[in-house]
Order: sequence, then C-alpha cells, then structure tokens
Amino acid sequence: MSISILETKNLTHIYSKGTTSQVDAIRDVNLKIEKGELVGIIGHTGSGKSTLIQHFNGLLKGTSGTVLLDGKDIWEDKSKIRNVRFRVGICFQYPEYQLFEETVYKDIAFGPSNMKLSKDEIDRRVRNVIKFVGLDESYFEKSPFDLSGGEKRRVAIAGVMAMEPDVLILDEPCAGLDPKGRDTVLSLISQYRKSTGSTVLVVSHSMEDISKIATRVLVMNESKLAYYDTVDAVFSHSEELKSMGLNIPALTSLFLRLKEKGYNVNTNIYTLEKARDELLTLLKGGKSE
Amino acid sequence: MISDITIGQYYKGDSFVHKMDPRIKILITVIFIVMIFMCKNFLSLLLAGIFLVASIFASRVPFRMFFKSLKPIVPIVIFTAVINIFYIGGGKELLSLGFVSITSKGVFTAVFMAVRIVLLIMSSSILTYTTVPTMLTDAIERLLSPLKIFHIQVHTLAMMMTLALRFIPTLIEEIERIMNAQKARGADFENGSLTDRAKALVPVLIPLFVSAFRRAYELAFAMNCRCYTGGAGRTRMKQMKLHISDFAALFVFAAGFVGIILINKFFGVVI
Repeated sequence: MSISILETKNLTHIYSKGTTSQVDAIRDVNLKIEKGELVGIIGHTGSGKSTLIQHFNGLLKGTSGTVLLDGKDIWEDKSKIRNVRFRVGICFQYPEYQLFEETVYKDIAFGPSNMKLSKDEIDRRVRNVIKFVGLDESYFEKSPFDLSGGEKRRVAIAGVMAMEPDVLILDEPCAGLDPKGRDTVLSLISQYRKSTGSTVLVVSHSMEDISKIATRVLVMNESKLAYYDTVDAVFSHSEELKSMGLNIPALTSLFLRLKEKGYNVNTNIYTLEKARDELLTLLKGGKSE
Repeated sequence: MISDITIGQYYKGDSFVHKMDPRIKILITVIFIVMIFMCKNFLSLLLAGIFLVASIFASRVPFRMFFKSLKPIVPIVIFTAVINIFYIGGGKELLSLGFVSITSKGVFTAVFMAVRIVLLIMSSSILTYTTVPTMLTDAIERLLSPLKIFHIQVHTLAMMMTLALRFIPTLIEEIERIMNAQKARGADFENGSLTDRAKALVPVLIPLFVSAFRRAYELAFAMNCRCYTGGAGRTRMKQMKLHISDFAALFVFAAGFVGIILINKFFGVVI
C-alpha cells in the first residue's frame, strides 16, 4: 500500500493544560488522507476543525500524538518546520485581512519569495496562479486594498496557491460571500485540484458546499472525529449529522421527511440528479409502506 | 507569549475591596503612592508594606497573581538599583575600587528604590485586579469632572480610555491571527538578525493597522446608529454610591499617611 500524504496518529490537543480553563480542543484523532483527494472537513463552531488543520502545517503542536507528512513526522526536525509549511499551505478564514503589499503581484509573490526561489520561478508561479483564481494580469499593478471583497479573497487564496503546496488547506473559503461568489470560489477550488493534482482540504460548516466538490468528508463533533468516509457514506448518517447541529442540505432533509412520513426512500441524497432518480423510482413503484 | 500580558486584567471576586467605590479606590491608590515616596526610613517603609499586604489579604486575590504582575518589571528594578548603588554618594564609604566607590547612602537608596517600585506596581495591581476597566474609567471621569470648567472634555477622554482598554484583547487576538496567516506563507519571526526580524513585522503591522482603522470606522458608525452624541445630558445605568465603609477605608489610609509623617519626624531619616 502506498503511503498516505497526510496522516495523524492519536493526535490530541489540550489548551491551557492543568489550569481551570483546560479545554480539549481535539482528542485522539486518527486519519489518513490520500494523495489527490478533496476532503471536506465539517463540524459546527467549536468542534475542533480549525485547531485540527493548524496541526497539519505545524502552527500548533499536539499535546500528544503525531502528524505524518509522506510518512515522516513533521516535528522530527524542528528547524525544518518551515519546509512543512511550504508543502502544506493553509489559507485561513477571511484571508483578505492578511494582504499587506503595495501591489497584488508583490502580495502573491510573498510566499514564493520566502521559499527563496529564483526570480523567474516566482514570476512563473504568480502568472500561473492568477488564472486559477479567475483574475488576470491586469490586476498585478493594482493595490490589494482597492479591490472588492471577493477579489481580495481570491488574491489571498492565490498567495497560498503560489507556494504550490502538495496539500492545500482552505478554512471557510466561502465565509461571508454571496451565493454567486461562493459558487465561483468552489468551482475554482475543484478546477485547481483537477489541473494540479494536488490534495485539497476544505473546512466548512456548510454541507451543501462540501457535497458539491468533495471526494471524502470528515466530520468533527465535540473534539472528536465522528465520521471520515465518502460523501455518500457520510450522508447516509443524515439523522446523526442533524443531531450534531449540522445543517444538512435542503434536498437531504426533504428525503428525511419523506421517510418520516413512511415512504421507502434513501436519505443519502444531496444532488438534483439523484433526487430526481429517487423520486422517479418511488413514483413508479407506487406508494410503499 | 503575547497572551500573557496582564494590563487591565480583572480578577473576579466579591471581596470588600471588589465592592468598594472605584473612585475611593483610585484616591486610596494615589494616597498610597504618595505614602511610598514620603518614606524616609525603614520603619515607615515597613508600615507602607503592612498596609499593602493587608489590602492584598482584604482583596482575596491570590499572591501569585501579584508576582505575575511583577515579572515584567524585574529588569527595571535591578537596573535602577545598580545605577543607584554606583551613582549616589554620601554617608560612609563601604567599598572603593579605583574610580567606583560604594557608599552606605548609595546602598540604602538602591534598596529603597527597589522596594518602592515593587510596592508601586503591586498597589496599582490591586486596583486593576479588583476593578472592571469600565468602572475604572467611569470613576476617572467622575474624579476629573471638575476640569470641565477649563473646557476640557472629560467624558470624551474617559470614553476614549474605555474603548482603548476594551480593544486590547481584540487586537492581541488579531495579531495572533495575522501572524499565523503569514507564518503559513513562510514568514519567519524567530530567526535572523535584528533588522530581518524588524522587517518580518511589516506583513503583520500593515494588516493590523488596516483592520484597526476598519474597526474604528465600524465602531463609530455603530455608536452613531445608537444616537451617541457625547457626554452632554447623558445619564448612567449604574450609579456610584459612597458607603460608610468607603469612608472608613479612606480614613484608615489617611491615618497611615499621618503615621508615616510622624515616623519620619521622630525616628530619623536614612535617605
């Protein structure tokens, strides 16, 4: 079996250990993420998703347990932790607030120039990545502070993509965007993954967004890993997900209610096509018990 | 870490000191600070120390909290003490090595200075540990209100102080968030020369200022929406009332003040 790109073993993180305000942020998380996958991480506020992802690039160090990148412990050599950050790129929530340079070009080049790459290579990456986020080179000389909210967000995401990380992690990339902006960002992410073949992790509390793009879904609940499986398999637990305080997609909840009424339907439905097929079989088969 | 900063930290409790009128607490703190600097011999310094320890016991704030507040000023205390030992002349000469000479007066001054600074910090810590920041600024506003006759906008100043204190934790959080974001892009804050590290702060400071200004605009807007027009005609939800116990505490410290004057007078002067 090949080595997973990212793996955690009994990863636990306790904040303010030994004081009265001790909090278990994540407890005993074991997971394996394979190369090239797009994993959606969901969980409601305070379930530990943001803490979890900060362990993947060594911004946080677990109280116990290990994080393996390509089978190697990321904390094996503490002085090399920056190299881990270049390989695992994290784009935090509201990334537009990290923009600081005079021009969009310079801001996107910040990550690559920290990697001490050659000028030509930096230039290639910046020009390459601006296309991924659906902008063009006419933006290069603009000040990032003059852009609209959605454009700022895309420039900030480009800044992380420009490091060409093996694993790209996006924390709530759609937060605060309107539905159109949300769809744009989501399709940019899945296009990026398709054309670069890199592994992508997307944190969100919206199952609707996740179900559109993810290959696997990871559910965090009360500091623990609740589910980690394919989208279909996770959505078959829709009732449990609901009890974890997660907003299940509108279509899924429609089928849940049909089932409550006594119709014999599957409840792991989250796309329009599947919903149509399921309804057609139900109608053809007549009313069942 | 940054989150260890204890400025304006409140320690929850409901002791006598917590319940005291904040205006009186400020007055007492001022009296106590003057007391510390009036001490001219060890006996009066001891009396001031007793007042402080008694106040700490009355506040029921654990002693370790006070040691925590002293930690950052240890270098300052050592620095002033050393400077005083070498630069204050007079009294008996204790040690002489070429151009440096240490005198009894120098040593006494050094000890006095160190103790004074420690007492100063601890006494102001009692005030901040037992008083919520908003109450504190409220009290300052009330105490400074006589300045209104000089057309000084006391209310505006107090409001600015309240807001500044309120935003310290928010901005600390913001700094941590921005630092994490830049670290994720490979920024290095821990290694390199002094100039490298100073340069590394630019990607943190610019977004911090941008967001501070954004917050200020939003706050001003929100205050406008709630019809804030400044101090004129503004009433208070929580009225401050003086109790007999407040006067009693004030009286005790006034007595201590007189005590120190008397001790200075009858027991000789060391420095």
